Amino acid sequence: MASGVPYVSVLIDEGQLQISEEAHRLLGAQYSGEKLKELLEAKGEFDRDLWKLMAEQGWTALSYPENYGGLGLGLMEQGLIAEACGSFAIGVPALTSSFLVGQALLKFGSEEQKDQWIPRLAAGDAVGCVAFGESAEAVPDRPACAYDGSALNGTKPAVTAGGIADVAIVLAQAAEGPVLVLVDLSASGIARETIDSFDNSRCVAGLTFSGAQAEVLPLSSQAPDAARQLLRLHALMVAFEQVGGARKMLTAARDYAITRKAFGQPIGAFQSVKHRIAEDYVAVELARANAIHATTRAAEPDFGRFAAAARISATEAYDMVSRDAVQTHGGIGVTWEADLHLHQRRARSLAIEAGGLMFWEDELIDELREDAR
Amino acid sequence: MTDIAAYREAARAWLSGKVEEFGREARRGLSPAEDLALARRYMAAKYDAGYSGISWPKEHGGQGLGPIEKLTFESEEILHGFGTEYFSISLGMPVPIMLRYLPDGWKQERARAALRGEEIWCQLFSEPAAGSDLAGLRTRAVQDGEGGDWTLNGQKLWTSWAHLSDYGVIIARSDPTVAKHRGLTYFWVDMRAPGVTVRPVRLAAGGAHVNEVYFDDVRIPDSQRLGPVGGGFGVAMETLIIERYSATNPAAGGPSIAKAVADASAITRRGRPLIEDGRVRERIARSFAMQTALAAIHRQALLSLEAGVQPGPEGAIHKLVSMRSRQRLSEFMIDLHGAEGIRTTNGANTKEDWVASWISAPTGRIAGGADEMLLNTIAERILGLPQDHRPDKGVPFNQIPA
Repeated sequence: MASGVPYVSVLIDEGQLQISEEAHRLLGAQYSGEKLKELLEAKGEFDRDLWKLMAEQGWTALSYPENYGGLGLGLMEQGLIAEACGSFAIGVPALTSSFLVGQALLKFGSEEQKDQWIPRLAAGDAVGCVAFGESAEAVPDRPACAYDGSALNGTKPAVTAGGIADVAIVLAQAAEGPVLVLVDLSASGIARETIDSFDNSRCVAGLTFSGAQAEVLPLSSQAPDAARQLLRLHALMVAFEQVGGARKMLTAARDYAITRKAFGQPIGAFQSVKHRIAEDYVAVELARANAIHATTRAAEPDFGRFAAAARISATEAYDMVSRDAVQTHGGIGVTWEADLHLHQRRARSLAIEAGGLMFWEDELIDELREDAR
Repeated sequence: MTDIAAYREAARAWLSGKVEEFGREARRGLSPAEDLALARRYMAAKYDAGYSGISWPKEHGGQGLGPIEKLTFESEEILHGFGTEYFSISLGMPVPIMLRYLPDGWKQERARAALRGEEIWCQLFSEPAAGSDLAGLRTRAVQDGEGGDWTLNGQKLWTSWAHLSDYGVIIARSDPTVAKHRGLTYFWVDMRAPGVTVRPVRLAAGGAHVNEVYFDDVRIPDSQRLGPVGGGFGVAMETLIIERYSATNPAAGGPSIAKAVADASAITRRGRPLIEDGRVRERIARSFAMQTALAAIHRQALLSLEAGVQPGPEGAIHKLVSMRSRQRLSEFMIDLHGAEGIRTTNGANTKEDWVASWISAPTGRIAGGADEMLLNTIAERILGLPQDHRPDKGVPFNQIPA
């Protein structure tokens, strides 16, 4: 990019708008803060009823080709569903994690691997997870997890949906270099340790492989690059989820500022409150524009920078707006009863699960630096 | 190719043929008078080529096209640094509003001269005691009985290009005994009329394109009134929304992200390029994410216009976010240069030079809607939050404590 920023974006069309509205309606009808709070206190549990409903609605099948039982829709539709899910801080980590496993198979898998897993993922019968990161590295150059051509050894310490998944895509070190491998998590030689966390329905678990059978995704020969490609899609979907959550918190803060009175007027008449909410609105709009824009660049060589931009602005927005919404609510905002902490928690759990800000800032700058060379 | 794409191609081709004669490089080193003369010639060439007054009606000398064509042309034109700044206010607000209110004939002659860059109009709104609170203005307009001439007395401030202007539009207080918004009346004035004094105000950044303008017993006929007596505030609001959609630049007229990356790659500290420093990466990455979003929002606004839908609050978001981001990034990029960051370059352009960008950025956060007013607009108009407490609401102007 020589100068400036390319001007490409899309308006949401009628069909997409309908998908979004229907998703919000359905999730709104299912929403229960009580249920979500039960999940917070139950390690390794997620909202199975909602997962079933999502599968019935076809949300698990959106982005797969029809010959695998999918609906053949695009990233935008997938993103809008994720946005709706984000606005209700749903207790289902699998929508994104399964989507990513499906994408890994579509891009890098063999025909047998696709045939075996994609129809099950599309039907919601199987849950997938991706295990790339190790400690602070979202995509380690030389993973400690080792693959010897048939068996996997080592640990992935914190895998979202790792506690409930049926299948995993793992970034592992083989003799020839890093590879992506597919692991059926029902096989022997796999120990899962679900982590006590501040957002337990993410079902984050450590996966330890001790000679577990695994097969390589044959087209992932440049594995760190393949993992990066997948992470971009992951980041984009999470960005939509973050935008949805941020928008919900913005609405909550706005509504409260209009109704709550102090010193003889609604607190939203005080500029210290109203300006903060206006800043929050701006952050949400910027993040949403970036997410929508990035969906239009997914097939382009510069997708990386736009996925990174979407991820960065969505992380900033969700953290900021959920933090501010709690502050606007005052005392009631910090109670267990008010559901705000569900979003406060989710803002942070999403911020770190698909590569954190530092990772995406590095990805972005590396790419911009390449331009300058 | 769509019609718009074809229009863009044609505009691009025409513009690229003018860069050598009128563009950024051609302007370098010119005296102010030479630069203005060159800019006027560019405007005449643009007029002859049919790219002036793109969205104005044909009977006003325009091209009779829509806002989308105008924005398309401007988004290409903005890339080359032509001297359009002298005319942007003139053609953006005063001339279109005068065209709406005056009878045919004289106004068309003025419009043509303004489009060709031969004449410039200014907008006399702000005053020493009335900026964001425009309706608090104090310049007096007194009429000699109903239908009679008017006498103007008072002072305007921050009037861009008044020192170059032939005409202006002005809002003044015609009745101090009613609530502040209701006692205002709107006129056009001849900037060469007896009693008009223009004094340039040098800004902190060094340039002097804004002025204070004094009116001492300036006589104007009632035929120069635009809109009803006491209806001036409405005409002023109408003036301000004429140019709601203009071409925007996500860097807000500051240097590009590509320049930030290039500079940070070229400067080393502790033996490595600064672009490898996490603090630098964070700043530049966040700025890039913000600019990408603004570009996407702008693009959506264009598509909305194309689809016949009025875009929403994009302008307020853009101005709020882009200017302060330019200010912060420019500060930061001066830091990267170490003690040498203090160096200034004579005649440096804000798009090419961090110092020039930084020193003039505060103006951008105040002029044309201060950050605080934009936040109020977003909060009240979009989010439906309550208006501020306004103690002067409904109070006759002459009873408001000064």
